[in-house]
Amino acid sequence: MALTDCLPMKSRVMEQRLRREAEALLEQGKVDWIIGFEAGSLRFTTTPLITDDKDDTKRLVVSPFANNNLSVYLTGIKGRVAIVAKGCDSRSIVSLIQDGKVARQDVVIIGVPCSGIIDLAKVEGLVGRDRDEIDDIVREGDKVSITFSGDKREYPAGEVLFDNCLACELPTPQEYDILLGEPTAARGDEEKTKSREKINSLEGVKPDERWAFWRNEFSRCIRCYACRNVCPACFCERCFVEEAEPPWVLPIPRWQDNLVFQVTRNIHVAGRCTDCGECDRACPVRIPLRSLAREMYDIVGGLFSYRAGTDKEVPPLLTCYEPTDVEDFIR
Amino acid sequence: MGQDSEWQPRILCFLCRWCSYVGADLAGTSRKKYPASIRGIRVPCSGRVDPLFILKALRLGFDGVLISGCHPGDCHYQTGNYFARRRMAITKRFLEYMGIDPRRVQVSWVSASEGGKFADLVTEMTQEIRQLGPNRLFADEKQGDGTTTTP
Repeated sequence: MALTDCLPMKSRVMEQRLRREAEALLEQGKVDWIIGFEAGSLRFTTTPLITDDKDDTKRLVVSPFANNNLSVYLTGIKGRVAIVAKGCDSRSIVSLIQDGKVARQDVVIIGVPCSGIIDLAKVEGLVGRDRDEIDDIVREGDKVSITFSGDKREYPAGEVLFDNCLACELPTPQEYDILLGEPTAARGDEEKTKSREKINSLEGVKPDERWAFWRNEFSRCIRCYACRNVCPACFCERCFVEEAEPPWVLPIPRWQDNLVFQVTRNIHVAGRCTDCGECDRACPVRIPLRSLAREMYDIVGGLFSYRAGTDKEVPPLLTCYEPTDVEDFIR
Repeated sequence: MGQDSEWQPRILCFLCRWCSYVGADLAGTSRKKYPASIRGIRVPCSGRVDPLFILKALRLGFDGVLISGCHPGDCHYQTGNYFARRRMAITKRFLEYMGIDPRRVQVSWVSASEGGKFADLVTEMTQEIRQLGPNRLFADEKQGDGTTTTP
């Protein structure tokens, strides 16, 4: 079954338009590359499509399973690029522009108004079936109907979306050249609260228990650096973990070094992280990395009223200052 | 640790070359007394301190980390301490979320003329950390013989 079979009308219209626009951009020589999504080899998945061949644009899809943040590819590609971007992805692109990593005139942002990406793990948990046993998942408005064993059931969409999508403030790209379809609204406050549940429950416990929790989580880390590699905000050409003389952390995945790596990574991307949730999804050992990223996102928002990637004209958070910045912690 | 003395914390200080390092020097030349708990590292500016330094210090087993620079407006490079202030604000909050007691990582403005302030600061911070006890954050689980592996 092709992925497009489970798309409702609205997405199909967007998809047709995306293919036309992408083809035209390549044909007219306005861009050298297209970065988008195509159907993945497994059902209910998508995979990045990076191409300079206009015939490939027929494979582009708009899908409620397109979970990757494609802006990570921008810094590694030469030439002008058209890129498919959801709300969070477009913020990552703006953040890269702010940091001078990408020139605005070299990117054509094809904005997709996003209504949230479906988390297959949540679907599996909800229906108690493996993804291979599910016949179809269709998103219609704020409902999701899931078909398995000849049985079609409806659930509220909020139950199957990724946590970061529930908390999404700007689902429609604010920075774009082409917008496919009408803007979508952010989700309700109730779901925003729900998306912070994990973080709040941690904040409720004593500091040494919090530390014990993270120490336990990071003892699973195998230091594959997937979280770093998928992160568009992690664009250093040489990461501190690869410094060898002298090394900051040892490459052996001991929990101590794993923790130093991840905490430092989060501090380094502060003000660039848009809470796209890629680190969390990329983690093969399921460390709740988004809890760290979101906490940092909220710290930055709380202290400096700064929201990453919302204004390409302002300097990046940590490259500027206000004389009146918070100082109550300084003795 | 001496037999009769109480446990002495080890505090790593990052001292700005223009203000706090000179302030610390003044504390010595003006014979102010403060505990011998600090190990100072001179940095060109408080803006030089990467949060990674703080984590590495804690990872190595230092019981506390102090970052000290010029007062706002006094930076030799005009703005370095303003950048440091932003960076330290988020770092401190984030480490607190991880479960590191905020008293272990402290930031202070000490000018070249504030020898007394530096001595008082070190004295107070040492007392606070003594209350907190040794840094076991990165120590491995207790082993059978009751000892712990230090990183």
